[in-house]
Amino acid sequence: MSDLLFAFTEWLRNTPLVELSLWISNTWLCMVIVTNFWAIPAIQTVHILSIAALFGSAVMLNLRVLGLLWGHLAIGQVAQRFVPWMRWAIVMLVVSGMLLIVGEPVRELINPIFWIKMLLVALAIVLSVFFNRRVSVIPAGGAASLQMRLGAVLLIILWCAVMAGGRWIAYAPV
Amino acid sequence: MTAATETIWQKIEYSPVGDFVASSEWAFPTLETIHVIALVTVLGSIAVMDLRLLGLASNSSAITQVARNTVRLTWMAFVLAAATGLLMFAGKAASYMINPYFLIKMGLLALAGLNMAYFHLVTWKAVNNWDKGVVIPPMVKLSGGLSLLFWVLVVFFGRAIGFTLGMFY
Repeated sequence: MSDLLFAFTEWLRNTPLVELSLWISNTWLCMVIVTNFWAIPAIQTVHILSIAALFGSAVMLNLRVLGLLWGHLAIGQVAQRFVPWMRWAIVMLVVSGMLLIVGEPVRELINPIFWIKMLLVALAIVLSVFFNRRVSVIPAGGAASLQMRLGAVLLIILWCAVMAGGRWIAYAPV
Repeated sequence: MTAATETIWQKIEYSPVGDFVASSEWAFPTLETIHVIALVTVLGSIAVMDLRLLGLASNSSAITQVARNTVRLTWMAFVLAAATGLLMFAGKAASYMINPYFLIKMGLLALAGLNMAYFHLVTWKAVNNWDKGVVIPPMVKLSGGLSLLFWVLVVFFGRAIGFTLGMFY
């Protein structure tokens, strides 16, 4: 596994991502971030709080789909309550995530775990949009199909994998 | 800090558990990962309750209903976060105990706990008077607001520990 990641890193080192990283390193914004000790922890805090909003909302909606929480509300009502929070959380995550990339471009862009995480993020967003749309139109009083229940479990696991990826960026074999 | 208390933290650090966490290649990142997943679940579920106490979201559900659908999840996630947190602490107990951000974080956790205890033991007694609707007494809103504030600060100070652990001697 770690050999494979090493090979991935080696490959990344031969892409234009290296030049891009070096270019980002010389931008004004990168300078501001690297010269302020508290910039990265502060941006990471915003990033984590946004994950809490996204993941918390996903867990609430998906547990309703599974019939475990919010039984007094229709699935559509629970979706109405939490899906807008997921959207705004994604916006905050993209903004704070991009600032983290600008602050430490080499650590992120020349990192195999970062790209695996990005792939998982893309997959989780596409599936969530599809899933949220499908469950939003379940008529009041109706239950979710087996497929939707499986989707609910899968999405929670997928978001956990995204978080694991985010944490392991710091431990990539580079 | 006296020599006697130092020994306690060092004893933890040099215990089999502490030694394992500190020397294993995968233990610490794995604990961190579970800690993050647990703490965002604590934050996310507690925020649903706090925003309802502030009258800002979930207003179509009674406060008791929102509590019924969040508190258990919050507690389960908190237990997981505390357990993984204790294990990470064991790996470098002495360093954590001289880190001001860690100590402030523990203080904030205590404040969050006191705020919650006061709310559930005292304020909650009159819940029938403000359970439904959006006319919420200031004391209830204060509890919700303080809870959000304490938990946001807990996240910041928690993150700060990771950047400062080796800086204090």
